[in-house]
Amino acid sequence: MMINRPARPRALISLVPMIDVMLILLVFFMVTSTYLNLDMIPAVKPSEGSAGSSQSPAGTLMIRLGADGVPVLRGTALEGGTLRAALAAAVAEEPLTQVVILPSGAAQTQALIAVMDSAVLAGVTRLRVLRLEAAQ
Amino acid sequence: MKLNRPARSPHTETIIALIDVVFFLLVFFMLIGRMDATAPFDVRPATAVTGRDMPAGGITLSISAQGALALDGNELPRAALSPALSALLADDPELRLRINAHRAAELRNVLPLVAEGEALGFKDVVLVVTPETDG
Repeated sequence: MMINRPARPRALISLVPMIDVMLILLVFFMVTSTYLNLDMIPAVKPSEGSAGSSQSPAGTLMIRLGADGVPVLRGTALEGGTLRAALAAAVAEEPLTQVVILPSGAAQTQALIAVMDSAVLAGVTRLRVLRLEAAQ
Repeated sequence: MKLNRPARSPHTETIIALIDVVFFLLVFFMLIGRMDATAPFDVRPATAVTGRDMPAGGITLSISAQGALALDGNELPRAALSPALSALLADDPELRLRINAHRAAELRNVLPLVAEGEALGFKDVVLVVTPETDG
């Protein structure tokens, strides 16, 4: 004899709570995240000091950065492209050329970053930023 | 006279498609976004061509155009900065210090902080920039 077992009702799991949780997570990440693409430039190079002392002395170029943000090399105000070309020529002549940037305290951060950019693009590997401190 | 309204057909839309879309959006925002603490003032970093990808981790010192400071999103006076940095460095000697200065911030408000971080013992001090295409 065969007993017909009544068919079990199909288990139903509600998807609504999962959707709720996902929507809350979605809103959370949309609101709390920042979407800026950020890069970094090292401000302190641990090997800078030792590398500089172990290598043979090479020419040093000093770039003064005025309060107006214009870099001055050997008494001549240079804009980005010209500065890069001048630095590239110096590096081609002496690969170990050290570039020292002496910025005015009133210059803007963007101006300093632009000069550092030009130097790195010109192939300068030894780059320093000097800061003058007021006498005590 | 009574009209017999035809029986409505059952809804055939499935919510699976909605779940898929929400799930894709969730993954997208999780991957694209960064969970950094934002400064309580406007900070637009300088643009640079030669910047490198910034890994996660570290503490962020934000500097506004006027020189106001915020450490990991919390504004603090200049005098409180050094003790706060020292305490953080004591917890993690390998901590990276990210200096997120507004592009218009004067260097007299930025460079001393780089030097101070170095003097306190931070081995990794970086300037935050935004990438710029080489034109």
